[in-house]
Amino acid sequence: MLPALERLLPGGLPLGQAVTVDGVGALPLALIAGAVAARRPTEPGPEHWCAVVGLPDAGVLAAAEMGADLDRILLVDEPGERWAEIVATLVTAVDVVLMRPPSPPPAGTVRRLMALARRHGVALVVVGGWDGAASRLQVTASLWTGLGDGHGHLRGRRVQVVADGRGAGRRPRSAWLWLPGPDGTVAPADLEAVA
Amino acid sequence: MVWCPDWPVVAAGADPRALVAVIAGGRVAACTPVAREAGVRRGMKLRDAQRRCADLAIYPDDPDAQGRAFERVIAVVEELCPRVEVVRPGLIAVPARGPSRYYGGEEQVAAAIRSALAEAGFDASVGVADGTFAATLAARVHPSGAVIPTGETTAFLAPQPVSVLDRPELAGTLIRLGIRTLGELATMPARDVASRFGPDGAVARRLAIGADARPPATRRPVEDLSVSCEFDPPRDAEPVVFAAKTLADEFHEGMRSRGLACVRVEVEVTLSDGRTRNRLWRHDGALSSLALAERVRWQLSPMITGTFHTHDGKSAGDHGDERGVARLRLAPDQIVTDGGRQLELWGAGDVSGVVDRAASRIQVMLGHAGVTRPVRSGGRGPGERIVRVPWGDRRTTDVPADLPWPGRLPAPAPAVVPQQPRWADVLDDAGRPVSVSGRCVVSAPPATVVLDGEELAVTGWAGPWPVRDRWWDPAQVQRVVRFQVATGDGRALLLVLDDGRWSVEGIYD
Repeated sequence: MLPALERLLPGGLPLGQAVTVDGVGALPLALIAGAVAARRPTEPGPEHWCAVVGLPDAGVLAAAEMGADLDRILLVDEPGERWAEIVATLVTAVDVVLMRPPSPPPAGTVRRLMALARRHGVALVVVGGWDGAASRLQVTASLWTGLGDGHGHLRGRRVQVVADGRGAGRRPRSAWLWLPGPDGTVAPADLEAVA
Repeated sequence: MVWCPDWPVVAAGADPRALVAVIAGGRVAACTPVAREAGVRRGMKLRDAQRRCADLAIYPDDPDAQGRAFERVIAVVEELCPRVEVVRPGLIAVPARGPSRYYGGEEQVAAAIRSALAEAGFDASVGVADGTFAATLAARVHPSGAVIPTGETTAFLAPQPVSVLDRPELAGTLIRLGIRTLGELATMPARDVASRFGPDGAVARRLAIGADARPPATRRPVEDLSVSCEFDPPRDAEPVVFAAKTLADEFHEGMRSRGLACVRVEVEVTLSDGRTRNRLWRHDGALSSLALAERVRWQLSPMITGTFHTHDGKSAGDHGDERGVARLRLAPDQIVTDGGRQLELWGAGDVSGVVDRAASRIQVMLGHAGVTRPVRSGGRGPGERIVRVPWGDRRTTDVPADLPWPGRLPAPAPAVVPQQPRWADVLDDAGRPVSVSGRCVVSAPPATVVLDGEELAVTGWAGPWPVRDRWWDPAQVQRVVRFQVATGDGRALLLVLDDGRWSVEGIYD
């Protein structure tokens, strides 16, 4: 988990559960970038793997700039009609699965995949709708900086991300982030600090 | 050698006289002669190919369909000559000695095969020579192929350039050393070639003198190296293909532990009613277990579609319950000593077994290129800087990523990179299209971007950033202009103007 996202999902990506995001973009990439963050070779710990299913247009380079280790990413660009079977296979092997299922995913398939994910302790990040997701993240405000009127270049984007939880008791959490910042990384961007 | 040119295009059901290309992984895998005249080449990026030839019809690469369709060609050739070996879909090897005695000469065999295939509606060329390598070249020199008489193979090979060896790295080194033709390579002592270029070079020299790629093993193996697997109850094709992968692993382990490799594998499928279906598969490198499983799948695919014809001409598809596979056997047919392979320095050891198994399993389901790993590559556009390498292949690219790339876009990179160009319209205040002159002067500031019918207001823009790629090569020169544009909905777009057409190369979302 990237430190900047801790405020939205305290404790990191929920293992054995699903988190949904509204569309392909920097947010799902930031979620997986934390899971397969590049480390120094001397740093101990288990190797994490991430699989990306059904997102041929995901900007892998952007994920790398956010800190993802490309050596630990598997891409299945065109899963076709057998996406459920493929996700089920991947859930037994990797730690995070980022996927875009066909909409709407059949309820039986969702239940079966969730059961598998729980048994193997795998976090699912779903682009689109997903029944029984633990949390739904969406970008509610977004502003790019760095572009003038014919000069400059894109430097960073300040976004507000809101995380809705399941159950009435949980208040929505919200955070301002640089997604991405000037060097491609993700950092907190509080309004006070910027103003 | 029987060669069907541009087989992927033919198998895709396209008209061979039209502008057609078959695309695998964003690159051209095969194209028609007309497309080739228009400047499209194998290995070229889809974007480049479309720039060269805007009317190009695109078909996806489907090795399974190619294997399946090729079964019909094999059936025709099998009618004429026994012992057909399939090298890959599009290429068959036939031992010519027996049939040429029957038909009265090699020319006659070649003519018989050509006319039988032409009757069946296939375009093929037939080359005859000593050894499969020379015969393949002979099939390519002329649209209908050529017959190289016995003993003249070396003379035929001598003027061929080293690039025909299909080993680009080795060929590059040889050309820099001044060795341009196979004849020059053949004159060098075998020992010196082996010590300078390793096993790969030794193989290349053997090919250059007209010998087979690997010397045949001098002793016949005493023990039976074939492996087989029984299915009880008989299974349909899909589980058999998966079992074939495991079986192929076992087969390879058996060979490797004895220091052997085989260039020809016999796959024997026994059906539940006792009939068998054999096929020989030839390959010059050792067939990997995945490639072997893929060939079993091709062999079985007529069964899946229900058009499985046995030798007596009856279709087994009529008896629904008899189509199960009872036994699968893999037998090495032509054994050679394994020349050894250079292990990668850091090896594949960084991949845990669980992930490897899952990825291999998906490859069985989707084909070899179904699972890829991203690798950084050199280039300027966001799409060029990541290359997808199929699981199990070497993770290297031709274009180094760590060199400076002037004109490359600064970080951050776009989060969405469309695989196909997404066309857009860029308009100024008055609704006129924005254009850029040869001196990089923008006609008017962009005010609106129309993408998929949606009008987006431009809130900020920067550019034009011209890129002139490969200016030294008139065939590949590319001159494009890039813009970054922020739109009213909080997104930003990376726009490319190429030859008067705007497209979205990346979305910053």
